[in-house]
Amino acid sequence: MSTSTLIAWLLAGAPLVGAVGSLLFWSNPDRLKLFSIAWSIVSLGLVAGLSGLVGMLPEGFLPLYLLPLTAMISLLGQPAHADNRLSCVMTLLLLGMGLCVLINQPVVASLALLLLFCVIAGLLYRHHSVLWPMSWLGIGTYALGALCAGLSLAAPAPLSSVASLVASAVLLPLMPFHDGHLTAVTRLPGNLPSFVVLLLPLLGLHGIATALPTIPDTVAWTLSLFALVGAFYGAVKALAQTRVRLLLAYGSLSFFSMLWWFAAATRSATPRSALLVGTVGLATSGLLIAWQVVRTRYGDDVDPQAVSGLAFGMPQYAVLLSLLALAAMGLPPFGVFAGFMGLLLSAPFPSSGGLVITLLAWLAASWYIMQTVQRLLFGVRRAELRYTDVLRTELAALSIVVLVLLALGLAPATFFAPDQTGSAAHSVTGSLVWNR
Amino acid sequence: MTLVLLVPAFLLAAAAIVLVGPDRTRHARAKIAAYPVGIACLGAVGTLYQVATTGPIEIRFYDLSSVAAFAIPIGFYVDRLSAIMMTLITGVSVIIYNYSVGYMFQDRHARRYLAMICLTDFVLICMVSSSNLMMLFLFWQVLSYLLYVLAHNHGHAGTLAGAFKTFTLLRVADTALLAGIALAYQLYGTLEFQELFVRATETPIALSLWPGMEMSGATAVTLLFFVGAMGKSAQFPIHLWLPGSLFAPTPVHALLHAGIINAGGFLINRLAPLFGLSSTTLHVAFVVGTVTAILGASMMLAQNDIKKTLGFSTIGQMGYMIMECGLGAFSLAVFHLIAHGLFKATVFLNCGNVIHKARQEPHFPHVDHQVDEEGLSRLTWFTGFVTTLFIPLLILLVTHGVLRIPLLESQGTVIFLFFIWITSSQAILTLTRLRQVASWKVSAAMLTTLLFIVFVYLGAAEAFTQFLYPNPDDVASYFKAAALPDWMFDLIIIVATVLTIASWSYLYLTAHGRTVRMPAWVEGLRIRLYLPFMNRLYADEMYQLLGNGIMRLVHQLDKLERGWSR
Repeated sequence: MSTSTLIAWLLAGAPLVGAVGSLLFWSNPDRLKLFSIAWSIVSLGLVAGLSGLVGMLPEGFLPLYLLPLTAMISLLGQPAHADNRLSCVMTLLLLGMGLCVLINQPVVASLALLLLFCVIAGLLYRHHSVLWPMSWLGIGTYALGALCAGLSLAAPAPLSSVASLVASAVLLPLMPFHDGHLTAVTRLPGNLPSFVVLLLPLLGLHGIATALPTIPDTVAWTLSLFALVGAFYGAVKALAQTRVRLLLAYGSLSFFSMLWWFAAATRSATPRSALLVGTVGLATSGLLIAWQVVRTRYGDDVDPQAVSGLAFGMPQYAVLLSLLALAAMGLPPFGVFAGFMGLLLSAPFPSSGGLVITLLAWLAASWYIMQTVQRLLFGVRRAELRYTDVLRTELAALSIVVLVLLALGLAPATFFAPDQTGSAAHSVTGSLVWNR
Repeated sequence: MTLVLLVPAFLLAAAAIVLVGPDRTRHARAKIAAYPVGIACLGAVGTLYQVATTGPIEIRFYDLSSVAAFAIPIGFYVDRLSAIMMTLITGVSVIIYNYSVGYMFQDRHARRYLAMICLTDFVLICMVSSSNLMMLFLFWQVLSYLLYVLAHNHGHAGTLAGAFKTFTLLRVADTALLAGIALAYQLYGTLEFQELFVRATETPIALSLWPGMEMSGATAVTLLFFVGAMGKSAQFPIHLWLPGSLFAPTPVHALLHAGIINAGGFLINRLAPLFGLSSTTLHVAFVVGTVTAILGASMMLAQNDIKKTLGFSTIGQMGYMIMECGLGAFSLAVFHLIAHGLFKATVFLNCGNVIHKARQEPHFPHVDHQVDEEGLSRLTWFTGFVTTLFIPLLILLVTHGVLRIPLLESQGTVIFLFFIWITSSQAILTLTRLRQVASWKVSAAMLTTLLFIVFVYLGAAEAFTQFLYPNPDDVASYFKAAALPDWMFDLIIIVATVLTIASWSYLYLTAHGRTVRMPAWVEGLRIRLYLPFMNRLYADEMYQLLGNGIMRLVHQLDKLERGWSR
């Protein structure tokens, strides 16, 4: 066994060992949460120390760092409670499987992916409610993902590529395979939504990095079309939402679709793509944690329209939520903006119409996110609400998200992929047909 | 080089001083922070001197060959334009900051507010000294958000709605700017200003937007940039955010009207060589600016609220400034925005006193026509006649003969001078309200002062043009690019002349009790127009309708899809 394989197993195995070890603290939710956080930090340390010895991923090292970091943040942001024990253990389990998909050999990675699809579908089935019949669609989508992951392993070349692409479209949501994403973000228990919103898209990006270069033009064109429809659809649906988790799910779908459009145009997933996917996932994760803060205080089924004036009584929360909102809507100097600009400046636009739709979807994010945040933070201070500012763990979780997003916005794109050079400056000469 | 970096650094330090520290020392820290703001101003003056004597200063913290590799390439390029803007911004900031310390004394949110003012100044300074489009866009965007925050009062519904409108409208324009940046990079492969100008000049590109319709690359890029500039400069029809943000504290308006709103004019000037490549964009700018100037000034006349009056006055002035850009008179636009900024900051900082005085004195503001007034004397009419009909002729001759501005070859200058004529006539028409001009001494003093002001202004504007654009060929090429078709040029000149002379004749005749036959609809026009202009042409309501329409459509689309939101 070579060193890189050994290290890959070590990196992926550490969180799995942690997941098993955490069962020792099952009877004590506080210690279970603490242990899970500590183990995700250990995992982050191992990634930081050993990732250089693993072969370079096409999308760079950023996903490797972001996975344990987000696992740790999402665990920090949730209250310690008996109901959240399963999500703590599952976070470490999913982290281990995620790392395994990213850095292991293709066969092992595909098996890990298959298992991951099954775990997510199983979790959704466990938390299925008759009040949410739509979640069947999500479970079905993940079952389809599992089937495609299996096919990509067993089927011959053209079929395996298509199967791999469909599995990636389930992970990194692309219409019409986006129901899994919506279900996972809205229906998974505890802190899992704020973790899988980053984990699954990054795994999907890893999948398309290997599948896209081999697909024929027709498929790429179809992907572009679905991506543009998805960007528009996600933005429109987000505008129509009043429920926060659904709004964030549709909003992130819109941004991920933009990535699909760029990726289909260039037939590749570069470190810039990872920056966009990672930061969109992280910003959404941060907003989900911020929404969890509100749910912790006012109940799981709280109507966002019944909450207002948080800025008066919860100033720290107000500042952090505002910054997160800025990052999520793609404003500088945060990472989402950097990722979006990186793609805008590196990829040649396949069509002017596509660019317009992409920019409109980017613009719409200012509307729906800002409207929701403004409604929560400002307006009338309600006498019936008790305003309690963020606790230390919540403050730490939200602050780390903001700081990481800021750091990713200011760091050079080559930082996480030293061998990738920035795109050389190019210019067009003569006449340019730009109307496809 | 260090001086350039010190200017934003001191502003950032001022923000930190205000923000960090115990609450009991809040006011003392606010006062201490005035010093770094003042030092930043001195630094800007020093930078202006340095740039004027030794040429542009360039500082880059990134590798030029791979600008896109950095997410945000931070660098400074300070030429004369940037240095002037830095001096203006920091100069106004010193006054506004010191005013604000007293104005917000004992306010619960004074700390946040003062820190935001310093931060806004910092962002403005970084924006005007950006070395590339990416950095400019970064600070441009941050400025949009800071405007939202500054125009904010948590508990007041009207303010919240206004702030949200400000943010969304500015984002619309920002999106166009972003599209322009992306397109510029696609076409020319660089975001560095100087490199971009060179490549755009050397490589003319034709874009085929759809079959049969071609547009030059420079036109497409500059049109998008222009829409971006329209947002910050409150040009019609994206002007609504400005009156919507008038609930903000008065010093914010002083800063907004003296500094932030100039961002659009600055952007066009920064990219003047690019705009100079596209006559179409300059003509669009001319039309948009003229329409905004006329509508802004008309709406200003019909407002009954001091802040709204000043707000619409600013919109009119910004229209005027954009119109100057559209005529190719880029340096005059900068001259105008500096003069307007200083003037408007003074007026805004004083408007609180006016309101205060009005509350104390029931007869203030004065009620017109309280007593029967005598008609105007011949001398008054003569003075008015000379100032509006004779002096402009003199100005034309002096401009052509003494300043050697080639009027016959420069349509833009002529149109500009004629526009000055219309506006100064409009101002002089207020003579009809003055009853004091009844002696030769007053009349002579008035004429001499006016001539002095006009010639100093012309001389200063010419000197400023030479300072900002030392190469006269550049100035000439901009005027040439902005040249209008002959028929339009003739029409503008004829309309300007007829309008001014007709107004005077009408005024003179009516003042002397003569009957001027007018069709009934013309007579009633003024009254009919008053209501829509007072209601700001119902633009707010139209935007509301548009917003509601979009949301209705969104909800219908949402219902079509039997998805999660059911």
